[in-house]
Amino acid sequence: MLLIISTCADKLSELEFVRPIERLVPVHKTVHCTKITPADIATADKIIIAGTALKDFDYLKADFSWLRTTTRPVLGICAGMQVIATALGMPLEDFVTIGPRPVQVVKECALISGAREAYFLHTKTACGFETLAVTDGKPCMFKIPCKEMYGCIFHPEVLNERIIARFAA
Amino acid sequence: MKLGVLYSGGKDSTLALLKAQEHHQIACLITVLSENKESYMFQTANTHLTHLQAEALGVPLVRVTTKGVKEEELEDLRNAISEAKAAHQIDGIVTGAVRSTYQASRVQRICRELGVWCFNPLWLKDQVELLQEVIDRGIVAVISGVFAEPLDESYLGKAIDPAMVAKLAKLKHRINPAGEGGEIETTVLFAPGFTKRITITKSRAEYANFSGTYQIEEAQCS
Repeated sequence: MLLIISTCADKLSELEFVRPIERLVPVHKTVHCTKITPADIATADKIIIAGTALKDFDYLKADFSWLRTTTRPVLGICAGMQVIATALGMPLEDFVTIGPRPVQVVKECALISGAREAYFLHTKTACGFETLAVTDGKPCMFKIPCKEMYGCIFHPEVLNERIIARFAA
Repeated sequence: MKLGVLYSGGKDSTLALLKAQEHHQIACLITVLSENKESYMFQTANTHLTHLQAEALGVPLVRVTTKGVKEEELEDLRNAISEAKAAHQIDGIVTGAVRSTYQASRVQRICRELGVWCFNPLWLKDQVELLQEVIDRGIVAVISGVFAEPLDESYLGKAIDPAMVAKLAKLKHRINPAGEGGEIETTVLFAPGFTKRITITKSRAEYANFSGTYQIEEAQCS
């Protein structure tokens, strides 16, 4: 079972940021980031942490400390990427990208292989891990060394559905 | 939150409105009337009728006109949202965007600059499912524009009903069935929350080379 974690403070945003991922992963369980239980993590085969609206930063107050110890594969999207970074001690920096931008893969990885363009919608980002791809010279997808844990600041559900399909496979 | 709906009067912005009002208060509709029928940003067919839809919904309307010059029309959209924010104290806006990153990213940038939330409740929704939900929710809409092959004049003025959804679904390998790529525009005559129905009393169809409009010249709300 793939666990989808919503970071949306507003239910209306879930139609935009969570529902499209649910459509791509037919067998899943969805839980809000403020309601995750240890059993949710323990019973998940894989975990996707979804993004949220530009004005929403409530997810930064939620408890994601379990990311430090989990052995489950995790894909963090936008806000999900930011919570991976902060849980693992990396600071966020203010950096705005909105809209489609070219992507350059700098380290081959099955997840992002073949990506040329991605859709961005963020005002904060993080650097400092193993960079897999960059846009405008800035890391836009990373991997946590020695773990199956990935963060992408872009939204793969928009122009790169294959990333989600490959992760979920 | 108090929200303004970017409202063209078509099925998508109406469906987005219905979804938004399940969670928030709809404080106003916002319509940008474009003088450019080729606008990348805005629907044009029958957008002059949104005052009737606002009346039927009992919601105020903020309406601005744009010449529809690419990118410059964004300044007019910004002014419209600013006006809605000042007049109706909206915290955010709702759009009926489904897949256009061109439209969505431009609206997102404007919202960020103005400090308001942006909601796109139809984002990435399957287009046949979208059409079906329009029917299931009781939205009554007619096709007011066709702009792609193989859509011909027989579609103009026709209702979005189960037979039409089936017909459009069969074309999904040639067009976006819900018209997200600009292939189809619609006009809503009734929807849940409307206290009145819009009746068309005079209309005119124009069509040539897989491009046509069903112009509603006179209509009333009763």
